[in-house]
Amino acid sequence: MPRISEITGVDFDGVNHPYVPPKELRISPKLKLHRDWDQNVDPITYEVVRHNLWQINEEHGATIQRLSGSPVAMYALDLNPSLLTEDAEFVYFGPYMQYMSGVTDTQVKWTLENRSDNPGIKDGDMFLANDPWVGAAHQQDVMLLCPVFWEGELFCWVTNCLHQYDIGGITPGSFCPSAESAYDEGIMLPPIKIIEDGEIRRDIEAVYLRASRKPQLVALDFRAQMAGNTTAKKRVLELIQRYGASTVKGVMKKIIDNSEKSFLEKMARIPDGFWQDRTYIEACRPGDRRTHKVQLQLRKEGNKLLFTNDGTADQEGAMNATYSGWRGAIMVAVTELLCWDQYFAVGGALRHVDFDPVPGTLNCANFPASVSTAPIQSMEISLYPAYNVLSKMIYPDAEMRKDIMCIGGTSQWPATLFRGTDQWGERYGYLLIDPIGGAIGAFSHADGINTGGQSRTPICQLPNIEHTEQSFPILFLYRKELPDSGGAGKYRGGLSAESCFIPHNTDVITQDTLSSGNATPTSTGMMGGYPSTTNAYTFLRDSDILTRMADSQMVEDISEVSGTDEMLQLRQENFLQHKSDVYAVRWTGGGGFGDPMDRAMEDINEDLEHYAITAEAAGSIYGVVVGADGKLDEAASIARRAELRAARVARGGRKTATLEGPVLCEASVNLNARQHSDGAHWACAKCACDLGHVSHNYKDGCLREDHPVADSNPLIGDPSRFIDDDVCFRQFFCPGCGAQIDNEIAVTRDEVLADIHVNVG
Amino acid sequence: MPSYLCGLDIGGTFTDCVLMDDSGRLTISKAPSTPGNFADGVLEALRRAGERVGLELPALLGSITMLAHGTTAGTNAIIQRKGAKVGLITTRGHNDVIHIMRGSRGLSGQDIKLIVHIPESSKPEPIIPKRLIRGVSERVDCFGKVVVALNEDEVRSAILSLVDAGIEALAVCFLWSFLAPEHEARVKAIAAEIAPQLYVTCSHELAPKWGEYERTTAVALNAYIGPLTVNYVTNLDRRLKEMGYKPPLQITQCAGGTIAVRTARDAPLLTLDSGPVSGVTGSLYLGKVMNEPNIITTDMGGTSFDVGVIHDGQAMVSYKSLVHQYEYFLPKVDVQTMGTGGGSKVWIDKTTGTLRVGPQSAGAMPGPICYRRGGEVPTTTDADVVLGYLDADNFAGGTMSLDREGAARGLQALADELGMDLYELASGVAQIAEFQMADLVRKATIQKGLDPRDFVLFAFGGAGPVHMAVTAREAGIKRVVVPQGDTASTWCAFGAASADTLHVNEQVRIMSSPFDVASINTVLAELAAKGRAQLEEDGVPAAQQTYRCSIDMRHRGQINEVEVEIDKDQIAETDLDDLRARFVRRYEQLYGRGASLPGARLECVTFRARASALSRKPSLIAATELTDEIPAGAKTSERSIYWAEWKKAAPSPIYNGYALLPGNVIDGPCVIETTTTSIVIHPGQRVAVDALRNFVIDTDVTASA
Repeated sequence: MPRISEITGVDFDGVNHPYVPPKELRISPKLKLHRDWDQNVDPITYEVVRHNLWQINEEHGATIQRLSGSPVAMYALDLNPSLLTEDAEFVYFGPYMQYMSGVTDTQVKWTLENRSDNPGIKDGDMFLANDPWVGAAHQQDVMLLCPVFWEGELFCWVTNCLHQYDIGGITPGSFCPSAESAYDEGIMLPPIKIIEDGEIRRDIEAVYLRASRKPQLVALDFRAQMAGNTTAKKRVLELIQRYGASTVKGVMKKIIDNSEKSFLEKMARIPDGFWQDRTYIEACRPGDRRTHKVQLQLRKEGNKLLFTNDGTADQEGAMNATYSGWRGAIMVAVTELLCWDQYFAVGGALRHVDFDPVPGTLNCANFPASVSTAPIQSMEISLYPAYNVLSKMIYPDAEMRKDIMCIGGTSQWPATLFRGTDQWGERYGYLLIDPIGGAIGAFSHADGINTGGQSRTPICQLPNIEHTEQSFPILFLYRKELPDSGGAGKYRGGLSAESCFIPHNTDVITQDTLSSGNATPTSTGMMGGYPSTTNAYTFLRDSDILTRMADSQMVEDISEVSGTDEMLQLRQENFLQHKSDVYAVRWTGGGGFGDPMDRAMEDINEDLEHYAITAEAAGSIYGVVVGADGKLDEAASIARRAELRAARVARGGRKTATLEGPVLCEASVNLNARQHSDGAHWACAKCACDLGHVSHNYKDGCLREDHPVADSNPLIGDPSRFIDDDVCFRQFFCPGCGAQIDNEIAVTRDEVLADIHVNVG
Repeated sequence: MPSYLCGLDIGGTFTDCVLMDDSGRLTISKAPSTPGNFADGVLEALRRAGERVGLELPALLGSITMLAHGTTAGTNAIIQRKGAKVGLITTRGHNDVIHIMRGSRGLSGQDIKLIVHIPESSKPEPIIPKRLIRGVSERVDCFGKVVVALNEDEVRSAILSLVDAGIEALAVCFLWSFLAPEHEARVKAIAAEIAPQLYVTCSHELAPKWGEYERTTAVALNAYIGPLTVNYVTNLDRRLKEMGYKPPLQITQCAGGTIAVRTARDAPLLTLDSGPVSGVTGSLYLGKVMNEPNIITTDMGGTSFDVGVIHDGQAMVSYKSLVHQYEYFLPKVDVQTMGTGGGSKVWIDKTTGTLRVGPQSAGAMPGPICYRRGGEVPTTTDADVVLGYLDADNFAGGTMSLDREGAARGLQALADELGMDLYELASGVAQIAEFQMADLVRKATIQKGLDPRDFVLFAFGGAGPVHMAVTAREAGIKRVVVPQGDTASTWCAFGAASADTLHVNEQVRIMSSPFDVASINTVLAELAAKGRAQLEEDGVPAAQQTYRCSIDMRHRGQINEVEVEIDKDQIAETDLDDLRARFVRRYEQLYGRGASLPGARLECVTFRARASALSRKPSLIAATELTDEIPAGAKTSERSIYWAEWKKAAPSPIYNGYALLPGNVIDGPCVIETTTTSIVIHPGQRVAVDALRNFVIDTDVTASA
């Protein structure tokens, strides 16, 4: 299927096809842009104004946080403020939900192109927008765009986005797992002038609120968004009054130029190449038992980065995202891995990053695909592979290597959507927010962070159990970190957790599931690291929990409870949880980095001491020997690791050719490119064994063994419970020394992935 | 025989002692702090103070009517990670609460770099490792109803196994224990029975608040610093008593008052970070004397800049605090901090060629280049000496000479890199630091719904008076007060001496409107009774006892709570409208006019009563005569100082702060020097010496007051 750039005769205008901003925006001459800026702001003024602009954006976010009424939005910090130039280049966006700002600039550009003539963009206006084809992640993410004028010219934009509790659609909360199209989902608003001359237009507001099941909460949040923009706008104007418009604009442009400069310097330090990743979504609608392939390619040529999604499955059911959702997801990784030192000033980098997906795919869906689940499915599944390809791209540079992050926890969200009548006699609907506790994937120099949150929302906090129990009629039996939930590796992925609850002070709860990543692990490891646990629902009907409670015999794990095991499917709707039905939800952890058999003995001892891994995993995955005292037997462990590696070579056939030429590039922790007589060859980083010419896939030069996917993590079960496809865990070993070079999770029919290609030699 | 109030503050280097006699005369002494056994340094500081007033230590101690003391024993234990080995007993299934940390890294509001650059961050080392945590069967629900009885067999075996594992202190926190404390109380009783030597702390006693993570953290930290703090205060109390001190020793606490030794033993967590808080307490007192109800207190030292806010005569308090990325519940005077200080490193962002100041600090060692302690990276202080704000030859009252050339060399290298002139660069460094601090001042007020322009700014700390006139001007603050000479440097000790005994009791009862007055009154009465009993135990006569109640309220369904003061300890049906009106007023003050949703249901969450004893206050001696005549000799010299306002250096007058007289007024630019600081007055500013000998700066004479 053709990519956007290859398609002619289609208008990517945000109606039937996604809006893709042209290089030159078509803005009505009625709107005057402030285009005058000081090219030579002195370094002192620059630093002072820069700091102020950052503060303005922070104050903007803090204002919304204080005023928003929605607990879902507030615990997950599902909001983000941004500051953009007059022509919609990012100056700053906040450290909240990273997806959102990634979809902000397209909204502003669309508004400039489509609203500058009629109804016009004027001082005192604000535009409400949530159309995913124009640029929202999904319909619930409502943006409010505020132009800031100075002396009659459009100076800049302050905008924010805030997830709404409910904006309509067939499912309360507006995540609609069984939607077949956007017509089943919440209200969609292309940018619409809701505030005119500083006043809310009541007619427009009424239209906005009409579809919601919780109009009061939405109205309160709308005021919070308005207050945030008003605060930020006022502060920008104060700054202009103090330093002059051309100076402030000069600083804004320089922030972007500086971030561009920083980006370009980084690009100059790493070789050109091509990196690729692959993962899968399961179940796009109730009853679906297929996997849907998601592929991401990153090509670097000089300063340019190009992202594509060739090979990704077609749009279908209720799992999709639009162009801006896909682009926004990738921008999260670009920002965190490449622009963190410029405080997320991603505008400069974006000048050199192209996005060219294939329309009609699940992460670049055409209208009217269902997209309400995008942030917890298609965008998540688009984001995490982006960490992998970017991490592999920057690995060759020893300094940038420290910025690498493996895929983190909750790489697909195991949603628990439930509703009923609460202990206060009121109707409620809720999405259990616990999986936001996620986990951070391993780094190239250290372990990931156990239940360290989701990297795409760097500062959020789960509600306390006491807060959830106060609002909803449930009783938590436990919420705990799980040993072995983090992906194994030289550096281990962060542990994830499991929450388990029963109904309490109510007779019954109506439940829906919405998940993926329960059969195939979505938090895969990197450069030989292993995947984390999968998501998992465990549901025990008619259990003995009430007897246990009466007898003061509580549990720490659902396996201690007796009951009838009911296998929940990934989009199971309207099932009932009665008083003695115990429900546990586990989310994915962080992926591991590097070969687990390279993990230091003292780190494994620490893992055992702190319940991060089990003794079984220490033996089966880390290749060590645990003594009767629960500590490692170091000598026996060293010997065992050597035996295991030797056995791999013995099984696959030893190759003895080693390379003597100098290392041209360290492509991964296990893989070098070395000079050879006919150009560069891949070589094992440990023993320099020749793995073939760099124009070939290095995996073809390795010994390959395919194992059941359950071998990659003790907490992964049999995929056939949920999907009909066969899934395997492929390992690639050095034929010289038996070290693991890499591994991959793949549906058996899919070919071996060529994940790394560098242009050296 | 005179009687004295005494304040003591243990710093990293010195232990400060302030004595105040009946007439308000201050006597100040210092002795080196004695880590390991801080009581030695305390007694030495007291002995030296006694020398100055001609009294032997026992005689001095016999004539002190109140001795208030801030201890850093707990803070140090946490910083050095030398606390007790702690075990935790909690609700079965919820062992990991303090490890999960609510799925965060505990960094909100912290260094933004750590937030955005995840690979640089991590969770803190756990206060209690998983192996020392035991879950036991028990459960209470959101109505406070016991739904699973406490399994006492499990409790016993948990305690025994933890004691076997070598714990020195035990923390106990069950879910919903603030609604039904009996299970925790029972664990404490069983522990007393089978392990009587164990230090035990229960969450319903220490922090009966809603939210198990912050509550568990509170007990875990309390247990962690418990044994050490208890030893220290017990030991000091005993030694003081042996030497003749009779009244109960008062320990300063982070909520802004003092507590008796007994309370400090039960809740050592209250002593954490009480040092900076004493500075706010001292300001509160001075503010009352000066008739200033709205004060921003600032303390700029070598490594940090602390900001506290006093509004309407009351210190602003927060109810959740953070230590080492751990959030915990405890009422605490809110002191916000950022890493800008005299030691902040100046550097150039190589990629973008921009000048940056901090947040890394050269600290005390190696410190700024000009300190000659091996520092090689220029700092804010180096810029100060290059600009001429600080006298290189006569620093710290002549006790230290600064290496101006070294500082200039360090900064010149950066100036060359940016193609700037040395002075331009140094002045830029000062400005960047000053403006950053102004942002924190703004943030500290605006986030509380206050306007910094309604405040006067108090400047403490060695580096504060050098920069605060500009910081204040940038934040729109008209007046800066540098409290009188010597007292400023021992401000925290002064704060301790002026503090009241205070008990803040809190209780969570979640109630939705329409409210039941009887239920509200029951909670308020319980809290009042608790406070009364505590003050009685402290020996406070009824006439000196005061009470202040408040309720944290919110819109039902919202997360944000605001504290609503109520001016009585029991309410009537007719007061409910007033309660709603107070909520709306406070809410809109914080969140903007129209932010409140009219007619929405309200919820009461936390009830709070502050029981305090008004202690005897220091009385400051005001000059009766003011003179505009500057004494001859007050102006000691002139030196060349670079002024950003003029973009050039100019000869500027230097005054001896001790020689100036009440009533003196001097136009900027000038510098006033004391042994502990330099007060820098910029062009367009003016300084006056008030009747209490404070220096009061008008930050912008052209602006109307």
